[in-house]
Amino acid sequence: MGETIARFSIRRHRWVFGSVLALVVALGAWIPHIAIDTDPENMLAAEQADRVFDASIDERFDLYDTIVVGLVSERADVGIYHPESLAGLHALTRRIQAMEGVVANEVMSLATVDNVEQVVPGIISFDWLMDSPPETPEAAAELRAAVERLPMFLGSLVSEDGRAAGIFVPIEDKNDSHRIATRIATAAAELGLAEAVHITGQPVAQDTFGVQMFEQMAISAPLAGLLIFAIMVYFFRSVPLVMAPMLLAMATVIATMGLLIGLGYTVHIMSSMIPIFLMPIAVVDSVHVMSNFSDRYRQGRDPRQVMAEVIQELYKPIVFTSLTTSVGFASLILSPIPPVQVFGAFVAFGVLLAMVLSLTFLPAYVAVLPARTIDRMVARVHRHEREGSGGDCRLCRFVAAVGRLAARHGRALLVLFLLLLGVAVYGITQIQINDNPTRWFKASHDIRIADRVLNAHFAGTYEAYLVLEDRAGGDLASQLAAQAEPVLVEAREAGVDLQDDWRRLLAESRGDNARATLDNLMFAIDDRLFEVDADEARQWERLLAVAETLSSEALTFQNPEILRYLADLQAHLEMGGYVGKANSLADLVRTVNRELVSGEAADFRIPDSAAGVAQAILSYQSSHRPGDLWHFVADDYRSANVWLQLPSGDNQDMQRVLDAVDAHVAANPLPEGLALEWAGSTYINLVWQGEMVEGMLLALLSAFAVVFLMMIGLFRSFWYGLLAMLPLTFTVSFIYGVMGLFGKDYDMPVAVLSALSLGLSVDFAIHFIQRLREAVTEAGGDWREGLSRVFEEPARAITRNAIVIALGFTPLLVAPLVPYVTVGIFLAGIMAVSAVVTLLMLPAVVATWPRRFFGKTAAVAPDAGSAIDKEA
Amino acid sequence: MNLSRLFRHLCAARHALLTGGGALALALITGSAQAQAPDVTEIVERANQASFYAGNDGRSEARMRIIDGSGREQVRQFTLLRRNGEAGRQRYLVAFSRPTDVRGTVFLVYKNPGADDDRWLYLPGLDLVRRIAPGDKRTSFVGSHVFYEDVSGRHLEDDTHELIETTAEHYVVKSTPKNPGSVEFAEFTTWIDRDTWLPMRSEYARDRRVYRRMTIQEVQQIDGYPTGTRMLMEDLDSGGHTLVEFRFSAYDLGIPESVFTERSLRNPPRQWLER
Repeated sequence: MGETIARFSIRRHRWVFGSVLALVVALGAWIPHIAIDTDPENMLAAEQADRVFDASIDERFDLYDTIVVGLVSERADVGIYHPESLAGLHALTRRIQAMEGVVANEVMSLATVDNVEQVVPGIISFDWLMDSPPETPEAAAELRAAVERLPMFLGSLVSEDGRAAGIFVPIEDKNDSHRIATRIATAAAELGLAEAVHITGQPVAQDTFGVQMFEQMAISAPLAGLLIFAIMVYFFRSVPLVMAPMLLAMATVIATMGLLIGLGYTVHIMSSMIPIFLMPIAVVDSVHVMSNFSDRYRQGRDPRQVMAEVIQELYKPIVFTSLTTSVGFASLILSPIPPVQVFGAFVAFGVLLAMVLSLTFLPAYVAVLPARTIDRMVARVHRHEREGSGGDCRLCRFVAAVGRLAARHGRALLVLFLLLLGVAVYGITQIQINDNPTRWFKASHDIRIADRVLNAHFAGTYEAYLVLEDRAGGDLASQLAAQAEPVLVEAREAGVDLQDDWRRLLAESRGDNARATLDNLMFAIDDRLFEVDADEARQWERLLAVAETLSSEALTFQNPEILRYLADLQAHLEMGGYVGKANSLADLVRTVNRELVSGEAADFRIPDSAAGVAQAILSYQSSHRPGDLWHFVADDYRSANVWLQLPSGDNQDMQRVLDAVDAHVAANPLPEGLALEWAGSTYINLVWQGEMVEGMLLALLSAFAVVFLMMIGLFRSFWYGLLAMLPLTFTVSFIYGVMGLFGKDYDMPVAVLSALSLGLSVDFAIHFIQRLREAVTEAGGDWREGLSRVFEEPARAITRNAIVIALGFTPLLVAPLVPYVTVGIFLAGIMAVSAVVTLLMLPAVVATWPRRFFGKTAAVAPDAGSAIDKEA
Repeated sequence: MNLSRLFRHLCAARHALLTGGGALALALITGSAQAQAPDVTEIVERANQASFYAGNDGRSEARMRIIDGSGREQVRQFTLLRRNGEAGRQRYLVAFSRPTDVRGTVFLVYKNPGADDDRWLYLPGLDLVRRIAPGDKRTSFVGSHVFYEDVSGRHLEDDTHELIETTAEHYVVKSTPKNPGSVEFAEFTTWIDRDTWLPMRSEYARDRRVYRRMTIQEVQQIDGYPTGTRMLMEDLDSGGHTLVEFRFSAYDLGIPESVFTERSLRNPPRQWLER
């Protein structure tokens, strides 16, 4: 079978080249249509419930994605309250407001908000807090005194220590945030501010990540390619020959990415790593083929014939290793995270494409190489091996020594592995599941620095929204119908039939929401009162009273009891240190009430009646920013939003907030009819992380099961199947154990790597076992002899491969983005560990229980050879 | 002439020309107006009279629909009473009847040409009288896009006025604040109807861009006074707007001065508020 494919490809090499070229050109043509997507929100499917709710909350409360700009002063005494600093803050705010893409009238800084204060008893004033910057230190100190009376702003717009001032910049499109952040940095530099200017916020982190991700795709993937090329040239001593796997890898990457883009998928954080994954994986098969080829070839032989033999020997392990790798990646399709599904599916495709190309393109390529080139290459390789001076031969001595060690000290090694496994399992139990998109940048990155500095000074740059909704009593329309009915009946009995009129008015009053409908209806009845006679007017007035009562009762969040509940919940969260700060309608109402009544702290409280609350709100609406009200309450007053500022975007910290709220609600049940929901990007990150962990466990288990079944099928033996699973099981456990011991969080990149590491780390075991069984058969059933033969060329190929791939991923280590570094370390680790484990553990196991694997006697009957041989 | 006047229920009847007077009459007026182009002081004075001083007193019922940039709607319903005093002094009383939760809220203005106006807001739910600081005159009136100052009119002497164009229908006057630090606009332009002297449109600009616009959408003759009965105030930055409709307007009712005292804040003068 393998030979047939090889000979066909060699004979029709022009046809093979033409097809590969056509494929690359056709799919590669899509690449310029690339669309980047860096929004972590897309980790959830568009119709995912939490995401849909979050979007509805953004709309209901006019919430925008926000860039956070912080000015940090070096002045120890007055901090930011210095005329120069405030002038800088003022100027920068105005510049930012003029920028395109910024929602100018929603920008929050000292220069854009109102001061609410009692000027003299009886006069409260909503005046710009800092319409123009104060010119004297005294005026600056007055400003400080004013700010420190405003709970809504203290800790948000100015840090409590007075050292830092913030500008919250809402933007229209979060995909614009890197551009706007860059312009803000430029504007700050132009103004020559004395303060350190820091820019952060989740949209900046995400958008900046996208920009740098692009750069990484342009740097890391080619760099990985170059490094792999260099290592292969070192091993195979021939540039023309090594060009083959490089072309193959490029063709695979271009075709896969082209297909992905052509099918209309966006390139997300995950899929941007596809080239980096495919590059080394694509050359794995080629390394086996070339390694085998250079070992078999002797001068004067027909390279085509040798190649046909090589493919015949290797096609089965190539197909199976590719299939298992492909299954490992394809298992990601089981995760509920769309970008991960896309990533898994397309890498799986790329792996299979690389397999096909390894079996066809490689023979075709060798067929057109001049015999001289091959002769020279092989001569150089063999000379190095003979002279014993080349690295390759150090490699062969080393590999042979490993084989002897494994066979001789099998039991000791197994005990060692068992101990290590115990440690690894302990490590796994220590794993912390946590993620934070800001931490996808290295600690030295500007965004991380800004994040650290600003969160040290302010209440927090991460936001989450706690939304309380009144769902009691059904909808207003049916309540109205129910309460109006008795009035209509009594009216009819009194000889006034209003039924039709009432229905018509109701129909004409239909508004955007129930509250608007009620308002319209009341207007309509009010008008009607002046058109009808006294009897009828009396009935209409009763109906008006019904509508008015209902309308007041419906305004849940004007109810003082409910606002007090909000205030208590906030106090619990703030006191407990779970959140940096919580802002809600309760704070707004309490602040206005204080300034309306006395200006004293004692009057920082919720008014006693709903009308009092309504009128405090009415007063607030006379400020310069009446629209800010709607960030905290919906216009029908049926739902309210508590804006939580968190100093950390870690999922674990978000989870603690959730738990604290649950605990509070358990001890202090929600007012009747209210339901509690979560939204905001920090919460959304927690949701997808949760889905990821679950999804990945499913992917891991199913990949394990499928690969195990494939191994049993491949080797036609349960025990060999089990044997093949040992190195990968140990490798995966070991890697995660180390991760747990080192305290590396289980985050998005790590989660994704778990399932696919399985598919990669089984490769060496397949090659090893397959070649071992062949060698034992060749050695007439002498397993010791067979084992020592395996530790010649096959073990060298495995080692070479491990080195090529492990080193091939190392350019990722210098990337400024942590997920790339994680992937680099992880894959290099998987390759290295699984190569070592394969070469040590498998011989140790078979040497310890030879009968289990080679039959009842050490010398095995001829028919015990592998199923593959028989088939061939 | 002044900016946007919210409540232009009055107007100087002697300047009013009934529409439908015929093409000839219109041509004559237009011609004569151009011939003796009144100076800008007279124009703004007449416009001020037309929009804020018609009759000796007046009463009107208003309905306000406040639509914000996101399409949220709020409503307010109130009755407005006005009485003219000596030397341009005026008193206004605004009593809210809807929504129910602000019923009984009363807004009182003493307009003092040449000095700061006095403004009070009584909040029955908190039982307190809030004085509106003079510096807050250009903040939102009960959450609408109308400012406190628009209710009773901006003082003519606060701006310098310049007639920049005379069209067939309008005098176009540009007004520039004498104290730019006290207001949010750099200038505003008003289109004053040459027949009724009503300012039909005012546009407020800053950074050479119009961000706020008042338009009179409907004018009715009431008791002989052309009266703006439908007014739109647009906030072009946020995309929100407030639509005010005036109904049941009447003039020269003989409303006594005692109606406009602080006592009325807690005890609204029902007799004058109800139709």
